[in-house]
This record gives sequence, structure tokens and C-alpha cells, in this order.
Amino acid sequence: MSKAPATDRATETRTPKDPILGYAALPGIADEMLDANGQIRPVWRNLISHLSRMPEGDLQERFARADRYLRDAGVFYRTYGAQGSGERNWPISHVPVLIDGKEWEAVSKGLVQRADLLEAVVSDIYGENRLVQEGFLPPALIAGNSEFLRPLVGVRPVGGHYLHFCSFEIGRGPDGNWWVLADRTQAPSGAGFALENRVATTRALSDIYGESHVHRLASFFGAFRDALQAHKQYPEDRIAVLTPGPANETYFEHAYIARYLGFMLLEGEDLTVVNNRVMVRTVAGLKPIGVLWRRLDASYADPLELNQNSHIGTPGMVRALRAGAVTFVNALGSGILETRALLAFMPTVCRRLLGEDLLMPSIATWWCGQKAERDHVAKNIEKMVIGPAYSRLPFFDDNGQSVLGSSLRKAAKESVGDWLSSEGSKLVGQEVVTLSTTPAYVNGKLVPRPMSLRVFAARTENGWQIMPGGFARIGSGPDVAAIAMQAGGAAADVWIVSDKPVPKPTLLPPEESFTRNMPGSLPSRAADNLYWLGRYIERAEGALRILRAWHLRYAESADPKQPLLADVTRYLKAIDIDMSKAVPAPLLRNIDSAIYSASNIRDRFSPDGWLALTDLAKTARRFHEAVQPGDDASHATTILLRKLAGFAGLVHENMYRFTGWRFLSIGRHLERALHMTRLLGHMSGPEAPDGSLDMLLEIGDSVMTHRRRYNVATARLTVADLLALDPLNPRSILFQLNEIRTEVEQLPNAFVNGQMSPFYREAMRLHSGLAVMTPEAMDHEVYRKLELEMEKLSDILGQTYFS
Amino acid sequence: MLYDLNLHMGYVYDVPASGARHVIRVLPLSLPDRQRLIAGSVTVTPNADERTTFVDFFGQQATSVLVRAPHDRLDIRMQARVMVEAPTMTADLSPELDELKEELAELWSVDPASPHHLAGPSPRLAEEPQIAAYAREIARPGQTVREIALALCARIHKDFTYDPEATTVDTTPKEAFRLQRGVCQDFAHVMIVGLRSLGIPAGYVSGFLRTIPPPGKERLEGADAMHAWVRVWCGETVGYLELDPTNDIPAGSDHIVVAYGRDYADIAPVVGVLKGYGNQKVVQAVDVVPLKS
Repeated sequence: MSKAPATDRATETRTPKDPILGYAALPGIADEMLDANGQIRPVWRNLISHLSRMPEGDLQERFARADRYLRDAGVFYRTYGAQGSGERNWPISHVPVLIDGKEWEAVSKGLVQRADLLEAVVSDIYGENRLVQEGFLPPALIAGNSEFLRPLVGVRPVGGHYLHFCSFEIGRGPDGNWWVLADRTQAPSGAGFALENRVATTRALSDIYGESHVHRLASFFGAFRDALQAHKQYPEDRIAVLTPGPANETYFEHAYIARYLGFMLLEGEDLTVVNNRVMVRTVAGLKPIGVLWRRLDASYADPLELNQNSHIGTPGMVRALRAGAVTFVNALGSGILETRALLAFMPTVCRRLLGEDLLMPSIATWWCGQKAERDHVAKNIEKMVIGPAYSRLPFFDDNGQSVLGSSLRKAAKESVGDWLSSEGSKLVGQEVVTLSTTPAYVNGKLVPRPMSLRVFAARTENGWQIMPGGFARIGSGPDVAAIAMQAGGAAADVWIVSDKPVPKPTLLPPEESFTRNMPGSLPSRAADNLYWLGRYIERAEGALRILRAWHLRYAESADPKQPLLADVTRYLKAIDIDMSKAVPAPLLRNIDSAIYSASNIRDRFSPDGWLALTDLAKTARRFHEAVQPGDDASHATTILLRKLAGFAGLVHENMYRFTGWRFLSIGRHLERALHMTRLLGHMSGPEAPDGSLDMLLEIGDSVMTHRRRYNVATARLTVADLLALDPLNPRSILFQLNEIRTEVEQLPNAFVNGQMSPFYREAMRLHSGLAVMTPEAMDHEVYRKLELEMEKLSDILGQTYFS
Repeated sequence: MLYDLNLHMGYVYDVPASGARHVIRVLPLSLPDRQRLIAGSVTVTPNADERTTFVDFFGQQATSVLVRAPHDRLDIRMQARVMVEAPTMTADLSPELDELKEELAELWSVDPASPHHLAGPSPRLAEEPQIAAYAREIARPGQTVREIALALCARIHKDFTYDPEATTVDTTPKEAFRLQRGVCQDFAHVMIVGLRSLGIPAGYVSGFLRTIPPPGKERLEGADAMHAWVRVWCGETVGYLELDPTNDIPAGSDHIVVAYGRDYADIAPVVGVLKGYGNQKVVQAVDVVPLKS
């Protein structure tokens, strides 16, 4: 680093393509890359000299590599808009933010103090309440707060700590100092995204990263995982990430963290409280849970004692907490610390509780429930943002609930005093902040964009640890409010750069080594969804095969009243498929059901599998609108069948042969067996119209095999032999029952005390019953009976494993 | 007055329910100088697999039960003997609104008894501009908080029609106000929203009301029902006053207190979560039997 070409910004050596050219800090605003004199800060020099030497195409190719990584890894988050919710690719800002390691030490020290302070505050709020009694916190802010969860008052968390994982939104002011903009204690998000950001960014800049002494993130997660392990009260306890479910904005991250750390990913419905213990329902029975890293808001955790309208909670959870059953990260009720108005009281509360001054100040905040503060806000309205006092979101993230004082019209400004005094206790004024800028790569150039940092703190056995890095939120435009992701903001990796080589902890062992050593802990709900995914997929395939055969014949005769076509139409109607459209609506619903099941277990899928499924749905929808009966439809159904086969192939080739896979497989086989049984019952009887048997063979994909195996024309007996009783034909009923039996043997609790479980016994009975049948005996009655028995098998499966 | 109380709440399910958890708040409270629970018990059939009791934030003893196996009906019974003294209405020492506001600001407490809990919106009771306007119209300058509360109580009693068919347990105060109809829960909720809009802390009281049979008639068994009324904070000196807008009377020796909360959601007599589908029928029978004292 003896030469630092980028320091002298005026030299003529730069090419016109240099992305640095023209980069300048905005007046009166600090910049991360440039110091007050416009010089590149030392920690940035290496990166910038690389970037400016790089040909433009090279740089774009590198950034594209990062995008590709995120796309392939399926990193997404959910956005909400007028059109409903949608998934958006993770918006990365490719240029990392570089911060000097020395400066970071000071930041860390400030945030460790803050985490300790927050712990002391929440412990007081739910305990002695001295802060209110002594006049440090206004009672209205507690009693009127929807995050003050009264059922948790006086309930000390096991282990004694309320907070285990926090994040802080911090920003740099014009004077270069850091400010806390918001505390996140409810269910801080972003740590997983920070990891993915890091991986993506290093894909693009691996050489520069490698030589830059950047602190690694892995040991932070490792230490936190160890800390959570230490919270288990019993060795057999499990640790889980508790998610509100796939509809949540950051569901991807919940799944990612769970997989990364080897924890289960659970929803409230997976849990049950038994004798003051929290248990997870798994296919191997109830298993104890010791630690829940929750990503759902506390009030939803228990519909009995908290929000009664919650459908994503666990009834009895608060009762279990009263008995000290489980450690929550963070304790239910901790969300109250996020209240915006509390920021106003932190300086005095810190002196009261810790006996010291805040090391890092919070953004200047005045609660308008007090007269002096109210007057101050009214007098300085031009420099204020006014917002809801109880809001738990920082002003730039609260979807326009806050207003800039300077944006009020003159008349409104004059009445501000009245507004503040009538609504005072519900309002806070905050000083308008200017955030520092950092370079973002936009249209081939680096441009200054406002940024804030989200920094994570984890309680470990050695006290609070601060993640060395994290992520920076980068504005989509020069306005501070533009850093909200819902407003198009992006996220950049943060490099904490040391002047010495940094330790390089190996990344945590891959996920398999954790999940593999806990066989049988597949949550019942996941098993249920996998089973139904299998069934819906197979059901779609069965319907498509019938439809294709129908349309092929219709293309020839163009007469839907022709006996065979009319008969099959009747059959389809009986299974709820009406033929008013060539690609009928019930088929779409079927595929949607498959997607719904899959969405509940998305953490168990590769992004490719998911894409294949959503692509199938999209295509089917298009065909539904456009396709005409006959040739057109037979072509369309062939395409859909091919897409289905693609998904099935992905599952078959890529899914680990674990308990979950077995349920999916049982679902597919059972549905296929049902499909074939019903069809045979309907179409192989003596009264079936001409051509039925050939059509059956076609639907059963067995035309060639039939020709090869039997030296006679298609006959009832050969069809029953091939499609019902041939153990080697992957479309036959017997083949499915055989597969089911094999899978069932491998399921947990297939044997209870050496005896077959009711489910295994039933699967066995069904299989052997059919195996000894002869083609002659296969008639409508037998098929009907078989169908009922299979449905019963499905019921027993549900009772045994899913309830 | 000395009372024997009998409460029966029966839930009959079309399709058997299982894994049923309930939190039950039906036992009368013991309140110094006001009410004494001499004996009381809560029974649940079928027998609960798990049963615990705890005291909730506002001081009510709650019973938490789990019935795991499928069952087609659940019966909750409460029996209690309770002694009630009528709270006396003394001279009006309550402040005016502005003064009340100052008193409240100087009250540095979030203890369960603190009026701060009753000052703002609560789970079931959001701010309602229309009810606020209605309350503003009633409160006249120079009136004390007690006068305002009594006036609002009388006004709601006059304007609203008691009509069990008009509302359900989930009806919002906004809806009840639009209808000007409802039952004790609706009357109480509307009054609380109105008082809070004026800056007067107000809360919800659940309990029992002795019904007096018409002259010459026998008291009908099981004709009584659980009741609800309003608790108003009238400043430091007076403390809380309980008013019953359904009958336009202050709570007296016919009112037996079971629980205090911010609104119905805090102290619903029975909150349940169970696995099942299909419909359920609820039967409720209450007997408030006065004993010779």
C-alpha cells in the first residue's frame, strides 16, 4: 500500500470511465469514503484503487456474479403494496461500506453499553418499576404501550436475561459521530441477510476482500449458537427458530438462520405445552424445546393470554413461561424497548441505572407529553420530524406516519402548538438527521447515497458481542427516507478493516451435520405439508394425463358426445373437474394447493424446485385463458406434464432421502394408486364404452409395455394384470402399495415395542391383500373397496404422524 | 348482603373438540371494605388433564385448564359465597377535567391499581371520534369528573336500548354506538370510550348482578346473568367510582365484582382455544341467591 493512486483525485491519469471520477461529498454531509478535505480515507484506498483500475465491463461482470449468487441461493424478501404482496430479489448495493477497525471498537463499546442499558430497562419495566416511581419514565409510556404485556409482568426469564439478541440502527451525523436511530429488540431481522450479503459481495470482490484484513462474521454466529446451547435446561432439549410463517417479510431469513445454525424452523402451531414444558409435535412424537429464537411479535405468541386473535401462536405459552419452561430470544415483552419515545429518556435513565453517560447518543428526541419538551418542539418545528410516540419503527421506515416540520404549510405550522398540546402524549419530535453518504454504483458511476448501519449484538457466555460488520442500508436516492427497503433502498456489506491480519475462523460446519444427527425430529406440520404436496402434484399429473388422452381423441372426432369421450367427461366431473375450459380451473386450484403446501416448507426445497413449481402454475394459468380443445389442448397438457416431470425430477434427484422425503413419496404413491384404482373401476368394467381399455393404457403410460408383454389385443384381463397387479410397472396399483410399505417401514415408530404400528399394519394388509389377487377377480367392487381402504390409510397416517 | 352464587357455563360441540385450553375468570374478588369471598370453587367436566391457577395482572384469580381427549361438551361451574357491602356515595370531592389531567400526570405509578392503565386505548377499545363527540356534548364546563361520569351514564341509559339480539360478544363499541343497542358489555364499552376521550381514566368491571323479582313474584332460578359495568377514576381523593350504565345506577350491594380490566378482552370470563370444527352452542345459567344476614 505504498502507492495509493486514488488519493490524488486531480491527477490526469484517470480514464474517463473511472467510476470514481466526479464523486464528491454533498455539502454539509459526512461521507464514508472521503474525509472533510475530499481525500479518500485510508481504509478505502485499496478497494478504490482496484475499482478504478478495473475496466468497466470487468466490474459489471463481477457485480453480476454477486447478483447471480443471490438469485441462485433464492434470497428474497417480501414486499407489500396495493397489488398484494410479492417477492423481491434481495437488493444488494455492490460496493461495501468500509469502516476502520479502531473506530469500530468505539462503536462496539457504545453498543455493548446500550445493550446492557436496555436489559436493565426492560428488567425494571417488568419487575420493580423504579424508573416510573422515581420519575425517570412517564407512566403513560408504559401503561399506554401495546407492547407492555401485562401477563408477563413479574415473570422473570429463566437464566435471568430478557435480551439475547438485539440490533441497532445507527447513522453518522455531519460532525462525524455516530448516533443511535433506533433500538431493535422485538425480533431483530437482518443478521442472515448480512451473511448472504457478505457471501455475495465476496463473490464479486474476492481478491480485494482476501487482501483487506476484513473481520469475519462466522465466529459471531458460532458464539451465539454456543450461548443458546448453554441455555438448554435438559440435554435433550431442542433449539428452534419460531417464525410467523411464509407470509412474513423476512421468512427467507428465518429459514436461512435455522439452517445455518442447525436449529429447527417452527411455527406456533408446531408447538404445544404439556405440563409446563414446551414441546414440538414431530412425526416421532412430542420432543422438548429449550430455546426459542422468535421472529414473531410477542403479542402473537399465545392466543389464550396475549392477543386473542392470533392464529400463529401457541395456546398456553405464557403459562409455560410462568413455570420457567423455555428461554425466549428475546423474552416476550421486550419489544416495548423499541418505542420511539423512550429514546428521549435514555440519557437520564442510563445515568440512573448504569451510573454513567451514554457512550453513543441517540437521535435527539422529545416526548410531547411534557410541557417543556412540547414547547421546545413547537418552537423548533422547522428542524423536527413529528411522529407517533409509541411507534416501534424509526421515522424513515414508518410508511409516512411521521411528518417533517419544515414540510407543514404555514397555517399548519401556526396550529402546531394546539396539535401538540391536545395530542401531546401520543407524539414525539425528533431532530431531522442528515445521514452520512457512502458510494453506491449507479449506471457505471459511484454516487454518494445516504446510509445507516444495522449492527447486531448477541449475548454470549463472555457478555455482549457485536457482529463485526453487518449491513448498511443504502438509499435509492439522496433523500434520507429512501433507505427504507419498501421504498427501494438497498443493502450493502460492511467491512470492518483492521490494520493487521484478522483471524479467519472456519465457517460453521455445513447444515447436514446438524440435521442429520437429529433424525425423527421432522415437525408434524412439515410432514403433513410434504405429504399433501406429493398428493397434489400427483393429482395434477393424473388429471393432466386423462385430459391429454381426452383431447387427443377429441381432435380426431370433434364430437364430445361420442360414448367414450362422454363417459370420461362424466368421470372427470365426478372428481370435480368440469370440462368447460380445455385447461380447467380445478387443475389450477390443484397446482395452487401444491404451491401452498410447498410454501409452508420452503426451507426444505432448493430454489430450483420452487421456481419449477411457480413456473408450472404460471404456464397453467396462461393455458387456462387461451387454449382451445383438441390438438391445442393435447399439446398444452403435454407441456404441463413435462414441467411437472421437471419438478418431480428435481425432487427425486435433489432431495435428501430423509423422513420428510418419505412423506412426500408416500403422498405421491398413494395418490397415484388412488388415481389408477378409480380409473380401473370406472373404465375396465364390461359396460365401459369401446376404446376405454386402450385409453386406460395410454393414461397409464403403458401402451408399449402392453404390446411387448401380451400377445393379444387389449383385454380386460391384460389391462388389470398390467395396471393393477404388475409389481414391476411403476404405474400399477401394486407397485404403489409396495413402495408405500417400504417407505412406511423406515418411518419413526413403525414398530411399537416390536409390534407393527396400526399404520404399518394397515399398509401391510393393503399391500398383501392386493398382491395375492388375480386379474379375473378384479372387478368394480374390488376397486371400490380398495379405494375406501386407501382413503382410510391416509386418515390413519394423519392421525399417527400429523396430529 | 350475603349471597350464594351459582354459575354454569356449558359448551356443546357439534363435532367433538380436543386439546381444549381455557382460562377461566369467574370467582368473585375479595376487596377490602367492599366484598369478601367466603368460599368459592370452580369445577370443570370432563376432568381437566392439566389445571393451574394464577393471579393475573389486575389481581383476579384465573384458572387455566386443559382437556386433551375429544369431548362433545364442556361444563364450567362456579359456586361461591360472598359478602358484599354497598359502596357509599359521599360528597363530590372529584376535580374538574383539567385538574384531573394534572393529578394524573403527577401519579408516577404503573401498579395494577394505577389509572394510567385505563387512560388510553386498550385491546378492544380504540379511539372513536363519534363517541368522543357524544361525550364532549355531555360534559359541560365547570362540571366535576363525577358529574360528567354520572351524566354520561344516564345519557347512555336513556339513548340505548337493551337488546341481546342486536350485538354479539365481538361487537365493537363503534358498531354498538351506531345501533344504540346492545347488552351490558356494549353499554360499558361505549361509556369507557367516551370517558377516555375526555381524559378520564375508565375501565371494565365484570361480575354478577342480583335481579330483584317483580313484587309478589318468586325469584326465578337461573334467570340472572353475568354482568358488566364501568369503573371511573375520579382523582386522587375520590379514587374509583363504579357506575352501571345498563341500569343507570352506581354499583351497589347488588353488584358482585369478579374482575377489573381495561376492557372485556382483559377479563373475559372464559377464553378458550381448542381443536375442532363445526359449531358450538353455549348455555349460561346464573343464580344470585341472597341469604338472610
